[in-house]
Amino acid sequence: MSIVPKETIEVIAQSIGITNLSPEAALMLAPDVEYRVREIMQEAIKCMRHSKRTTLTASDVDGALNLRNLEPIYGFGSGGPIRFRKAIGHRDLFYTDDREVDFKDVIEAPLPKAPLDTEIVCHWLAIEGVQPAIPENAPLEVIRAPAENQIYQQKDGPLIDIRLPVKHVLSKELQLYFQKIAELTMSKSNPSLFKEALVSLASDSGLHPLVPYFTNFIADEVSRGLNDFLLLFNLMHVVRSLLQNPHIHIEPYLHQLMPSVVTCLVSRKLGNRFADNHWDLRDFTANLVALICKRFGNTYVTLQSRLTKTLVNALLDPKKALTQHYGAIQGLAALGHNVVRLLVLSNLEPYLSLLEPELDAEKQKNQMKSYEAWRVYGALLRAAGLCIHDRLKIFPNLPSPSPSLLNKGKGKVINTEPNKRKLSVDSSENRSPRKRLIATDGSDGGPSPMQVDRPTGDANPPQNSVHPSSSEQASGGNAPESRNAKENQGSKGRTITRKAILDQIWKDDLDSGRLLVKLHQLYGDRILPFIPSTEMSLFL
Amino acid sequence: MDPEQVDEFVMGYLKKKGFNSAAKQLQEALHHNNGGTFNSTDYHNDPELTKLIRSFSQSENDPTRYRDGYSKLRSWAYNSLDLYKHELLRVMYPVFIHCYMDLVGKGHTQEARSFFNSFRRDHEMIHLRDLQKLEGVLVPSHLEEMEFARSLRQSKVNIKICQYSYDLLLQYLHRTESTLMLGIINEHINFQVYSGQPNSSSDDIDAVTIVGSFQETADHVNQKEIQWGLLEDSLEDRLEKTGSLLSDSEKGQGESKDGDIDDSKKRSNEIGKQGSSLKKLKKDKAGNATAKVARQETSIVSPAPRVKPELALPVMSTDVEESILEDLRNRVQLSSVAMPSVSFYTFVNTHNGLNCASISHDGSLVAGGFSDSSIKVWDMAKIGQAGSGALQGESDTNDQNVGPNGRRNYTLLLGHSGPVYSATFSPPGDFVLSSSADTTIRLWSTQLNANLVCYKGHNYPVWDVQFSPFGHYFASCSHDRTARIWSMDRVQPLRIMAGHLSDVDCVQWHPNCNYIATGSSDKTVRLWDVQTGECVRIFIGHRSMVLSLAMSPDGRYMASGDEDGTIMMWDLSTARCITPLMGHNSCVWSLSYSGEGSLLASGSADCTVKLWDVTSSTKLTKAEEKNGNSNRLRSLRTFPTKSTPVHALRFSRRNLLFAAGALAKPAS
Repeated sequence: MSIVPKETIEVIAQSIGITNLSPEAALMLAPDVEYRVREIMQEAIKCMRHSKRTTLTASDVDGALNLRNLEPIYGFGSGGPIRFRKAIGHRDLFYTDDREVDFKDVIEAPLPKAPLDTEIVCHWLAIEGVQPAIPENAPLEVIRAPAENQIYQQKDGPLIDIRLPVKHVLSKELQLYFQKIAELTMSKSNPSLFKEALVSLASDSGLHPLVPYFTNFIADEVSRGLNDFLLLFNLMHVVRSLLQNPHIHIEPYLHQLMPSVVTCLVSRKLGNRFADNHWDLRDFTANLVALICKRFGNTYVTLQSRLTKTLVNALLDPKKALTQHYGAIQGLAALGHNVVRLLVLSNLEPYLSLLEPELDAEKQKNQMKSYEAWRVYGALLRAAGLCIHDRLKIFPNLPSPSPSLLNKGKGKVINTEPNKRKLSVDSSENRSPRKRLIATDGSDGGPSPMQVDRPTGDANPPQNSVHPSSSEQASGGNAPESRNAKENQGSKGRTITRKAILDQIWKDDLDSGRLLVKLHQLYGDRILPFIPSTEMSLFL
Repeated sequence: MDPEQVDEFVMGYLKKKGFNSAAKQLQEALHHNNGGTFNSTDYHNDPELTKLIRSFSQSENDPTRYRDGYSKLRSWAYNSLDLYKHELLRVMYPVFIHCYMDLVGKGHTQEARSFFNSFRRDHEMIHLRDLQKLEGVLVPSHLEEMEFARSLRQSKVNIKICQYSYDLLLQYLHRTESTLMLGIINEHINFQVYSGQPNSSSDDIDAVTIVGSFQETADHVNQKEIQWGLLEDSLEDRLEKTGSLLSDSEKGQGESKDGDIDDSKKRSNEIGKQGSSLKKLKKDKAGNATAKVARQETSIVSPAPRVKPELALPVMSTDVEESILEDLRNRVQLSSVAMPSVSFYTFVNTHNGLNCASISHDGSLVAGGFSDSSIKVWDMAKIGQAGSGALQGESDTNDQNVGPNGRRNYTLLLGHSGPVYSATFSPPGDFVLSSSADTTIRLWSTQLNANLVCYKGHNYPVWDVQFSPFGHYFASCSHDRTARIWSMDRVQPLRIMAGHLSDVDCVQWHPNCNYIATGSSDKTVRLWDVQTGECVRIFIGHRSMVLSLAMSPDGRYMASGDEDGTIMMWDLSTARCITPLMGHNSCVWSLSYSGEGSLLASGSADCTVKLWDVTSSTKLTKAEEKNGNSNRLRSLRTFPTKSTPVHALRFSRRNLLFAAGALAKPAS
């Protein structure tokens, strides 16, 4: 039947004061209403076309009513879209939320800001058939493959004039621009100007012709300037800006760009001075890599797999320097939790055992080496921690456990506490059936704010009993870190019980539980800050 | 028994013939008092037929018969041989809409709607607009009221079909005893059977169903003769003559140099971009010799015939004439290898209010018509000077336009009382005409910045108005389904062109001023004789409302663009579509031919300007007769704008392309 149901007709009749409309009449009216509405909309579309628009507006409908010699709809435009409300008690009855507006309010309302006046801007859309690369024009398409052209020409026969591929000509302005940017990148003397340049790189349209030059420049400079930390950092900033620019199609140049970027991530040596904070550079680059993977992962399916392969190889090669390991870990961590879980955590145990001697201050006399080892350890910890934190967030919110159950759990916990360090995965699983209920209850975690989630990730709380030598690293860490650490220490008793509970809680069938236990085993207390805990709030 | 016998008679006859003459024959037979023995024996000897008649009379009012019959016919047509399939499928659309209208007419609203919805997908591709119109028809009274439905009901559809397909169809209808379908086909379709092989399916333009009687009038109208040539003693004519005189390059160069200086002083129509125009001129000179040769060649190949003007044309002042001649002489020769430069005027901060834009012939003035009834005229030459005044070294950067009006750098023309739908400049740029939803057309002077005349005559919003190529006369078209010819000095129209079946949406003058073309929502384009007011051509082929028209400078071709983005190029003398140019995917707002007619520019709501090579497409049609499937159309270039639908296009006399549009905020 008609798309206008008879109920609608009845409602409209009521709203204009006709109360005794018979259902038959409504039924008869419905098709006619639909016909009239369609008629008016067709006229409205005509008005829209003549206003050279492709979206229908209320004024078009008014125009259509005018065309039909009908009275237009009068009213006060609210400006916003019309909101439909559901009528209470009806399943599919809606009404417009039409508030009464006080005249006084309207009159006394401050005048709106005067809109900007219409102006005309003139530019060249094309000069002798070629679109100039100026900001007014739409960004150029990626330069077409010439082969396609060739085929087209051959097919069309001799009628078509054959044009040679256009020589790539850079305008004087673009050349100057490129020179200036390159200069700034190399000079390092004017950081504020360089920042401006980066903003320009990230936002200007019409830079597309320069992209191949920039990629070349970056590749050259990275391979040449591995000893120059600042230069590398600047180059990575340039890469980042290029990636951010919405007018640039960087895709065809990715294969040139990636090696340089990965170099900055996992190179043995970046910068030649001790003061160079190459850790920062690696962190920055890791984020960059993740950005690239996120944006182009869809179009280049092999991109991420190739990248992770490189990184994992770097990580698992014991001959590689610790700095390289650090870069690889950071790169993998930036790629997301699933990557970490699959590739890092599976190799965690053997790797940590390798790292152990380096961490030990007594065995490793070289302070530099020790520092590096701790950095790597921190990165690993952070990667694992973020991963587990993410895992826990996945669980749905469950009602909080009843106190009695929890108490029972707690009693148990205290008993098991002393030998908790020896808890193995298997032993914890043995006890699972009885505690299933608590496990599921507690596993929820509305992710409470984490205590530590530092981006640099050298979480290394000093209360660590296993590695007392860590104090120098802790002092190297900054203020909030140490405060957190203290807080942890202060609530040590709490953490112990919590820890124990967690051990039980994660005996869930889900491997995340197992994973956590394992992590806990490997890391000790240091993993705890990453775990969102609801039971903690219960204890408080 | 008697009525049954009549039925049977009808059936027998239809089975044999299947033509519309059947009705007449039936009447005759009735008069002859029910025929001779041959009929009755036929009836007695054919038990199948009696069964058929019985079933027919029984289920007369059963709405499901339509659905069954149609879906059977449909599946049969879809499963037929590929060779004949497309011909048989053409039958489906008229059958479909008539089934629907029959159902509506009998009051089976529910069934009609479900029938429509289940099969509409088949026809949406080609007939979307019609389906949208028909969809709302739900009760019998709507059929009466709606013009479109009425005309469909009353007339027949012509379908060209080959002998074999026709036999197939009839055989099928016989075998399955689908009397209902047979009835509909008989009643509403007029088959034009031809012998031989079926046409290739690419020839679909003719297959679009047209109201039959209308087609006949169209065919009839299109027989008339038209004089599409250029005017005798026109400027182009004179130029060609002088061009041969100036063949010695020395003289030509000297003069054009003079002209150049003159030109840059008098009217900086290249808007402070003299440098580039100079460059172009130089290049033009370089190619002058070859171009001239080429021109002579073309003039040998296809000399545009000269015709006498039928209107008393205004006399042009010698100054204006000189400058136009100068422009024509300095025109850049465009072809598929020599592309034009495009200067784009972007309206910003229009707040969705810009309804139309117009560019004067030299590109120096731009007018915008707004939905708040205002017209704004920008003098781009002055704006250009203000911007690059120092560059040009001109001391008198006159602020009179900018200063007193409170920093406004346009002229505001107020007078209309409804949205302004169209504006047009007179050829020298001294007048502007505007049309509006308030049913009036107003004449404005760009020198006085004031309204001079208000022309009242249309009864409904005036969609479009265009100055004639020589000024003085102008044409308008309106929602009232008429187009009118006016002259500037009279407030009453000189001619009223009536004949379109729906709104007349756009109008365009023929270069020789003897004809105007109009595009309409009834999906046709018509050509009218200005002197007699008669329709001399009907161009059928568009599938949606026609939004823009352009005439080639030699007067031989016309291009029309529609709502779907299709551009069609027509040969005026034969009224045939030369080639559909597909490429735009939204409304084509504007079309323009280059000065010598070799390129066609189109501007669309999809935010692109496209250039089409027109010469190749016309050439190919001749070759196409032999090899049917060659790629006929050729899009040369697409210039995307950032997010500006292109409202207006204009080739200047020197073949610089001007485009204008309002910047639309991206959807995000």
